[in-house]
Amino acid sequence: MSSPPKLLIPLHVSYIQKLGESKDDLSYHLTAHLRLNAVYWGLTALCIMGHKDALDREEMIDFVMSCWDEEAGGFGAHPKHDAHLLSTLSAIQILVIQDALDKLEISRVVKFILSLQQPSGVFAGDSFGEIDTRFSYCAVSALSLLGHLHGLDVEKTVSYIEKCRNFDGGFGNTIGAESHSGQVFVCVAALAILDRLDVIDDQMLGWWLAERQLPNGGLNGRPEKLEDVCYSFWVLSALSILKKVSWIDADKLSSFILSAQDLEGGGIADRPGDMVDVFHTLFGVAGLSILGYPGLVDLDPVYCMPAPVIEAKGLRKGWQSLERRVSQD
Amino acid sequence: MHGVKRVRHTREALEAKKLREQAKLTDYLALTDDLLHRKQENDYSLDAFKLTTRLLQVNPEFYTIWNYRRQILIKGIFPEKQPREIYEYINEELGNTMAALKSHPKVYWIWNHRRWCLENIPNNPDADGLEAVNKWKSATWDREMMVVEKLLNADARNFHAWSYRRYILANTTNPRPEVTEIAYTTSKIEANFSNFSAWHHRSKVYSSLWTSGKLDEAKCKEDEFDLVQNAMYTDPNDQSVWIYHRWLVGTDSSAELLNREVRAIEELLDQESNNKWCIESLVHYKRMLLSKVDGDERERLSAECKQLLERLQTLDPCRRERYASMIKQL
Repeated sequence: MSSPPKLLIPLHVSYIQKLGESKDDLSYHLTAHLRLNAVYWGLTALCIMGHKDALDREEMIDFVMSCWDEEAGGFGAHPKHDAHLLSTLSAIQILVIQDALDKLEISRVVKFILSLQQPSGVFAGDSFGEIDTRFSYCAVSALSLLGHLHGLDVEKTVSYIEKCRNFDGGFGNTIGAESHSGQVFVCVAALAILDRLDVIDDQMLGWWLAERQLPNGGLNGRPEKLEDVCYSFWVLSALSILKKVSWIDADKLSSFILSAQDLEGGGIADRPGDMVDVFHTLFGVAGLSILGYPGLVDLDPVYCMPAPVIEAKGLRKGWQSLERRVSQD
Repeated sequence: MHGVKRVRHTREALEAKKLREQAKLTDYLALTDDLLHRKQENDYSLDAFKLTTRLLQVNPEFYTIWNYRRQILIKGIFPEKQPREIYEYINEELGNTMAALKSHPKVYWIWNHRRWCLENIPNNPDADGLEAVNKWKSATWDREMMVVEKLLNADARNFHAWSYRRYILANTTNPRPEVTEIAYTTSKIEANFSNFSAWHHRSKVYSSLWTSGKLDEAKCKEDEFDLVQNAMYTDPNDQSVWIYHRWLVGTDSSAELLNREVRAIEELLDQESNNKWCIESLVHYKRMLLSKVDGDERERLSAECKQLLERLQTLDPCRRERYASMIKQL
């Protein structure tokens, strides 16, 4: 087997820079409902590759603030779209990375987030009431970044997450649902923020997570499913919070992620040979950072943000990624 | 973007594609602007409702438009309608979103909208007695069960569909006996032993039936051990079965049961030498036995575990470090 290509940082930086330039493209507009999330994915990927300034800071902050939904008191994914917890967390993450939280009426956002907690302890994504442990994570992470965790009913929040734990050690999106790597990330990271990792059976979950690695090095999201680059982050973040990243083969996974790069246009795809997008570009780069790939900035696996940003806020938890390797050339 | 092959287009091909899409794009943007404007103006008219249908057909992920559509129904349309007409509207919603679901079976917003529909079916005001009053509800919820079965036939691992199934079972006004879910998962598992979603669901249903006393745990478990053993022999490399087996054995089994399962797996290993899942499971159950014995027996078991873990380090090098940490724990 030939050795995998290196991480083509300049090419990925220019791929992310060009994402906003395709406004005459239908597919660009068909993803408007994910725009704010996409800005967060792009910015975080740039930070991890050491190119935070590749996108204009003022323009980005203005765009974030243009997504504010005055009626609800949260952020929509795009100007005039309804507020939702998913986009509200992205907005807060961007403002924290850009050190621009002063733009925000924090007490209103906190009120919006807390209003979405249900009697069972889980969070709804918006006032229409879809519930999911993803939204519990969004609420916990956002409140923590805003310094307002004290307003949260921690016991109720943890109690719902605990009820989503399955016998295999993993977590599902609601009570009774099958374990899924993405849900494992949100539940484990929320518990880490709330200092309640005692809820986890770390041997069982560590086993389940380690078994996500397939012979080609990639990770899948559930037993007997296909590999996908985004699980590099969902699985690795949970493993690093459990301090068990070494339980999978880091070299094989790195090669898999690197082989999913588009060597001409930049960006990373779900698997080799597929179309790239900014979501998989972030989660590929994030995975490589946790695996100690040379030249990258540390990623905080709990918040999925640059580690220096989280450290500066005093929010770092006790996770462990692999030691950063020194480039051989 | 998932599973879309990368193709290189020439500059000319890209330009041609853009040109073809131009009219579509202009139409889409105009419709979006129109609807977001109407929404801001609290326009809850039937006109606006029809426009949301058009936009959601092009983009079923536009959650703001789903929200707006529900608001039009609640604030603009339903207040002036009789219960029967509301019921008809909801049936139409379910019919329309079915087409969207078939082409986009993993879009959260569509599943979400169907839940909202189910929860907003009115009572039949002309009926007498609870059953008759709930007739519209039970008929619709029953039909949803068939919808979800169709979707699980198309993709037996779709976790949205499984969640929706659990949601229907828990909330329908016309609940069927929980035990029928066992038969359903049997049929799914028999069609494909790798369907861990079905094994998972089965574990939840059994747990509930045992807790409520509707089924006898000890008796069921014996049948389950037979089923699992059959699956293990069919494909010993399928991890679904081994994970389910671990659930079946549980965390507080007797030494007798553990020893019996260890022997059964050892027999399989004789035929499937070097099968990773056999060896890994043997370690797991032998480690459970370790806490139940002492003295020489303990020494012997511990040495066996160590030897098995060393084999695993060679057989399954990806997870070498995990096995090393387990050796240290012995």
